[in-house]
Amino acid sequence: MMTSWTTHLPVFVVILPLFVGFILPTLARRLRLVENLVIAVEVISFVMAAALAVLLFKQNGSPIPYAMGGWPAPWGIRIIADNLGVLFLLVIAIVGLPIALYTKGNLREEVGGRSRTARFYALYLLLMGALAGMAVTNDLFNVFVLVEVATLSACGLVSAHRNPRAAEAAFNYLILATLGSGLVMGSIGFLYITTGHLNMEFAARELAQVWQHSPHVVWMAASFMLTGFGVKAAMFPLHVWLPDAHSMAPTPGSAVLSGLAVKGYLICLLKILYNVFGQTLMRHFTMHHVLTAAGIAAILAGSILALRQDELKRRLAYSTVAQVGYIILGFGFVNQRGLAGSLFYLASHALIKSTLFLTAGAIISATGKTKVSELAGVGRKMPLTMGAFTVASLGLVGIPLFSGFVGKWHLLLGSFESGNFAAAAVILAGSVFCAAYLFPILRNAYFQETPGENWQDPGMAQRAAFVLLSAAIIFFGILPTPLLTLAQRAAADLLFLQ
Amino acid sequence: MRDFILKRMIAVILAFIFVYGFYVILHGHISPGGSFAGGIIVSLSFIAFATVYGIDKGKEKLPEKFLVWVESYGTLWYGLMGLVGICKGAPFLANKLAGIDLGVPGTLSSGGLIGLIGFGVGIRVASTMITLFYTLMEGDA
Repeated sequence: MMTSWTTHLPVFVVILPLFVGFILPTLARRLRLVENLVIAVEVISFVMAAALAVLLFKQNGSPIPYAMGGWPAPWGIRIIADNLGVLFLLVIAIVGLPIALYTKGNLREEVGGRSRTARFYALYLLLMGALAGMAVTNDLFNVFVLVEVATLSACGLVSAHRNPRAAEAAFNYLILATLGSGLVMGSIGFLYITTGHLNMEFAARELAQVWQHSPHVVWMAASFMLTGFGVKAAMFPLHVWLPDAHSMAPTPGSAVLSGLAVKGYLICLLKILYNVFGQTLMRHFTMHHVLTAAGIAAILAGSILALRQDELKRRLAYSTVAQVGYIILGFGFVNQRGLAGSLFYLASHALIKSTLFLTAGAIISATGKTKVSELAGVGRKMPLTMGAFTVASLGLVGIPLFSGFVGKWHLLLGSFESGNFAAAAVILAGSVFCAAYLFPILRNAYFQETPGENWQDPGMAQRAAFVLLSAAIIFFGILPTPLLTLAQRAAADLLFLQ
Repeated sequence: MRDFILKRMIAVILAFIFVYGFYVILHGHISPGGSFAGGIIVSLSFIAFATVYGIDKGKEKLPEKFLVWVESYGTLWYGLMGLVGICKGAPFLANKLAGIDLGVPGTLSSGGLIGLIGFGVGIRVASTMITLFYTLMEGDA
């Protein structure tokens, strides 16, 4: 019996959050139950992701396929839990649980009434389900459907905040994200016309043979895909919606959007670029240069814009633009080290940025102040919250023994391997910028005083969330091997190295 | 609206639209249409009612709370049907592999679980459309 249940894991990982999410609006009157259900779902998702990772390590990284309804590909939909997918599933689970813990008992402050809060949770679980789906999907049209589910629930999460400005930010996001969806849809259409397949493996095999008959259509498909996902993943200069949306959303919403949602689109882009178009076509269309250039521009511009922000959440949002740049940069190196570094950085940034947003939210709700310059002395009055913020800042800057370092190190190795020394310089410069916009907050918090205020750390559940996240950041900084092995195997799969 | 003819006409046609909607939903696997199209038609019968007799009367007949329930559990129903396959030792959403008798092709019972899944999707689409209609009408007022 045990074996039969483990074979269904790839599909359970996706449907559990989706189907629990659907029934939450009917439980609006029993908000306690809703909160506990969401935490339970996150715990079970974590167990399932860990079980999948163990299975994958037992098989030495050969993927775990699952045919929906028993129909074989290309007729049926086949989902695959491969190294890349399991890596992302683990990230979702590790970040999702603390975010769910953080929401316990304090979401109504930002969101409002009971039914609004229940709906927030429903959207949160829908987004988690869609992201898990992106991790395991192997079908172009499913990618589109999951992207739409994720986008719409993300817009809902942004607009859930009571502040009317959140609705405006959500509307901007909706318009631009829909444009992105349209481009992705168009690209999938072109690919389907050219290859006649929606399954990624079959489409890739067909595309390698027929792309020369209609190179312009395939080029269009590739550039639509890049632009579409570029808008959704806030690739510089298509990031304009991100600072508003991510800073106006309720705190757990900001954390999940910056930490996970953006990464989901990047994973989809990575899958389609490497698994469907393949390295040869990417190099032929010089897409790796576009990716590298976009990455460099994002790191520099995002960091400089972040430096100029005085509002704490906006500064963190601009920092996300810069950090997405690192990930994109790694996609453009087209070698195993760079890709592995990029994937590890993706995982570590998911942890770090959700910690930063959650602690920032806790600080803002305790002090009522949103500006960086007003937060003098927070460090002594809220030691645990500011401690988690400090750990995450050190991680983001890339100090050794924190998870960000491992990712940046492998990115550097990748840039040397591809002979791109400008990129290497920008990676290092990015760290300096990052220190420049985060360390003043720390200095202010620890070495200055605001007399007379009685600020306190938040409740137990929130503290548990901060401890879990900081522990994960330090754990993956000291012992990166399990995650790094997954990332390296995923990179080898993407480059078809054996 | 106070138009007598309109009210009488709707009162007569309503039931037919409603039944036709469910006909389209249930015949989704053997004829054009399906749960989405059928669900829209079912919702149209209520939207016509609420337009002609007034939104308050429409909400009396079909409260929003009920719609939320249908929306949530209609979708859950889909998942439960998918789990039938897993309980029978076949993959998720399996139909024939789960040992379900598919009957004679072309007849209503030939879809196996698809008809049941379609029913869940149909009522979900219908309730969503009505919720959207209510929301738009409220925004207008």
